[in-house]
Amino acid sequence: MGLARYIGARVIWAGVVSLIIVTITFLLLALAPNPSISEAATQAALQGGDPTEAVERQQELRGLDQPLHVRYLDFLEGVYTLNWGWSEQRSQPVIEALGEGIYYTAQYSIPWTVLTLSIGPLVGVYSAANMYSWRDHLATGFAFFGWAIPNFFFGIILLYIFGVWLQWVPIQYSTDVAVFSVANAKQLLLPVFVLVTGSIGAVMRVSRNESAEFQNATFMKTARAKGVSPTRAYAYHVMRPTMVPLSTTIVSQLLVIFLGSSLLVELVFGIPGLGRLTFDALLAQDTNLVLGSTLLFTFIAVVGNLIEDIVFTLLDPRISYDDR
Amino acid sequence: MSRRIDRAALRGNYLSRRQWLGMLGVGTTVAIAGCSGGGDGGDDGESSGEAELGGDRGNEVDLGQEPPEVSGQYDDVQGSGFDTLNPIFNTESGAGAAIGYALDQGYTFDPDNDLFPLLYDVRTADNGKTWTIDIREGLQFSDPYGEFTADDFVFYVQEVHQAEWAPSANSGEWSGVTLSRVGEYEVEATLENANILWPETFTPLEYPIPRDLIEPYVEAEDVEGMQQDEELIELQFAGNLGAYTLDEWVRDGGTSYSRNDEYYLRQLAEANEEFRIFGSAPYFEAAEIEIIEEESSRIAALETGEADHVSLPPDRGDQFIDDDGTRVVLADTPFNNILSVNMRDNGWTAGPGNLFRITEFRQALAASINKPELIEGVYRGFHNPHYTWQPAFSEWFPGTDELTLWGNPDEGVYGAEARDLAEQALEQTDEGYSYDGDVLLGPNGDQVELQLYYNAASPTQELAAGFYAEEFEKHLGFALSTNAIDGTRFSEQYWSAEDVADPGVTAEYEGTEFVWETPTPNNPGPREFTSNEPWDFGTVFALNTYPLNPLSNEVFFDGQDVYNPVGYYPEFDAAGLFQQAREAEERAELQSIFEELFVNLNEEQPYIMLTFGVDIEGYNPDLVGPIGDFANGWNFPTWHFDA
Repeated sequence: MGLARYIGARVIWAGVVSLIIVTITFLLLALAPNPSISEAATQAALQGGDPTEAVERQQELRGLDQPLHVRYLDFLEGVYTLNWGWSEQRSQPVIEALGEGIYYTAQYSIPWTVLTLSIGPLVGVYSAANMYSWRDHLATGFAFFGWAIPNFFFGIILLYIFGVWLQWVPIQYSTDVAVFSVANAKQLLLPVFVLVTGSIGAVMRVSRNESAEFQNATFMKTARAKGVSPTRAYAYHVMRPTMVPLSTTIVSQLLVIFLGSSLLVELVFGIPGLGRLTFDALLAQDTNLVLGSTLLFTFIAVVGNLIEDIVFTLLDPRISYDDR
Repeated sequence: MSRRIDRAALRGNYLSRRQWLGMLGVGTTVAIAGCSGGGDGGDDGESSGEAELGGDRGNEVDLGQEPPEVSGQYDDVQGSGFDTLNPIFNTESGAGAAIGYALDQGYTFDPDNDLFPLLYDVRTADNGKTWTIDIREGLQFSDPYGEFTADDFVFYVQEVHQAEWAPSANSGEWSGVTLSRVGEYEVEATLENANILWPETFTPLEYPIPRDLIEPYVEAEDVEGMQQDEELIELQFAGNLGAYTLDEWVRDGGTSYSRNDEYYLRQLAEANEEFRIFGSAPYFEAAEIEIIEEESSRIAALETGEADHVSLPPDRGDQFIDDDGTRVVLADTPFNNILSVNMRDNGWTAGPGNLFRITEFRQALAASINKPELIEGVYRGFHNPHYTWQPAFSEWFPGTDELTLWGNPDEGVYGAEARDLAEQALEQTDEGYSYDGDVLLGPNGDQVELQLYYNAASPTQELAAGFYAEEFEKHLGFALSTNAIDGTRFSEQYWSAEDVADPGVTAEYEGTEFVWETPTPNNPGPREFTSNEPWDFGTVFALNTYPLNPLSNEVFFDGQDVYNPVGYYPEFDAAGLFQQAREAEERAELQSIFEELFVNLNEEQPYIMLTFGVDIEGYNPDLVGPIGDFANGWNFPTWHFDA
């Protein structure tokens, strides 16, 4: 199987996976009690009206009186035409809400991801090359510290030191500043630092251990014997095989951290991003927005896995398309 | 009405617009509550580093002064975002504040509780049966909607609030009111039953909404269209009707505003020298509400001077009071902390009978909790004692001389007297309860043990619950087991019932017959109709005491109205007193009626009344305007920075 056919097959598979997830989501929603309907019934009862009539009216208004398969087809059409409905909790279309969330989240998540992916493996390989030296211990200590300290707590501490005491960075996140401006860089410095320290540890440790395995491999001995410089030897001969297992760690870890850590960091730093949007939508039982965020993260995960599969084969040509 | 009360119980989570207005007592501007009438005006005005419970008026704006200089940006910080800024549908206090910057409502109340007309005046000439709504001239919507007139007002109320199709925030509030347009700027409202406190109910308090904007939705009965209309959500129609113009609303981020040069209230200064300060209002170049959900980050913003206003938690109050860089305003509130006792058939789980139904036992409970100690120890001094169903700042508060000060060791009934009251209660029951030394024994000879539920999310409630347990054991000899519970679970399983009586059911308590015309989950019927789960004590919910319009309290205390989860039936003629209050033609008449009502409630303790909350508001010390008063923020367009 050639690369193009392989990618084509993976894309189709990603489509099937997303359809399955969308269907499960629809079924869960269809089975769950709708809070707005029960609220309408309660309100009708409290005001001396007929709760049954209120429920019927609400169901009719929301199209819930239609047969399940009709609702499912409508739902599918909405999902794939990006008509994801109206967010009651934000008073705007769901797509627009998600777009806004991504806009603010991307401003810190892109530098965070780039820094994690560039610094993590480099420091890991450097640690492996200088194993058990004070540099290795320092890097390991840093990795464990970042991994161990809760982002939420770390964020507050840093905010207190650099925001309140030293007043080097602002406490309030301002949405007015331009994306590419010093002011924005200043206000995003702490969130990015907190997130990088939180996620870099695992990347660093995995790459350290993986590269330790390769630095005494026969191909490294050959390279050294041929007079290849240490930098070139590590960059080409150690880093590349190290990145294969590391890519799995990176994709899964970044996906997990994206939701969990970014919510906490957004709460502490007051950033109106995707984490808060999702969390608030869940709390407010904003069905359309919860569904929209679920779908968004589903698509990110599916696409992430697809990229991971492709990167695997590019990094390690020994991996056969036919086996996958 | 019923909806309002139901949500009052869930304060902080979801409130009807009437509810938060009722709670705040302000018709417009910023959402900050304070006390009213308690102001002695004697504060030194140099409040940096000082704060005083109740009535800090030292930093009040002088309405007759020359207009100050316009300067700076006012930065407010709130803890949660807004669902909508659509004034027709908003039901949240935070969003109400955000709307208030850019769109005034009809009127507000000043610190003396007098109605202060904004867009219109509301007055009666026949003791509350017919009311005239007088709209100011020169109120302009943005193009192309023209002037705000009586036609807009009548159309909005009749076709939206009084129509069945539109679930607006004020749906149902206007039922029984007949509106007619009697002039270009004059509306006449005829009430089904006279009410001299009609403006205080906030029913006539409306936002100005242009008829031409909503008419297409009204004709099509298009609720979604009206909810999602961009002009409504972004207040694009506001014209000169608000002090500031909304520039942007970043969801979860906050709102930003710029100064409105055409603000209509400037005309006040031309008409009356007493209001000269309105001449160039407002006085900030710009304003912003920033949403910071994390409490410590909000407080840090105040500490660094990035924010001009942040609400403070009690455990940080003292720190900021001592800080010269912050002005702290302590504003009394009408929200109480109560200990609810279950008088229904599934209450008093310690054995047969239900001692909570005996007034002397409830008095004993109230007398056994040391209120000053509770306030100091649990609430860090930032609460006020609560003796009857009105805060001390209310004009309807009967005065402490008329009340029994339960739980006040110095001037009231406390400690050993609580035990005497409990023994009097035991004499009224033949279920076999008795005292053996300091221990209250049940019919089976074991110490009586009762259960208390407190909100798991509230460390303060947990602390208070421990204090109640100690006090009850010490003075009344029964054991109290305290249990944390999720607020929603308590509301659904303990505070409301699924099994509701048929309409029209009757029951007799203490010689009075009660009729349940429309039983509700929060008052499902006579005492045999109970919640799913049995319970004894609950501190999960606090309630409003409605100091501006105490008639609203009828739902709590007449026994058969929509809200009576505890199964309380008054032993005095509460229904009769509320009826008299509704029919009263003068405030003086109301005064004596409410005095009798609140003295009786003080005696009966239908809920064990403990403390009233206090809002601790931290401000930029250079800001002129904030006062420690229930009406704080009523004149927000005149607030300014001290030059």
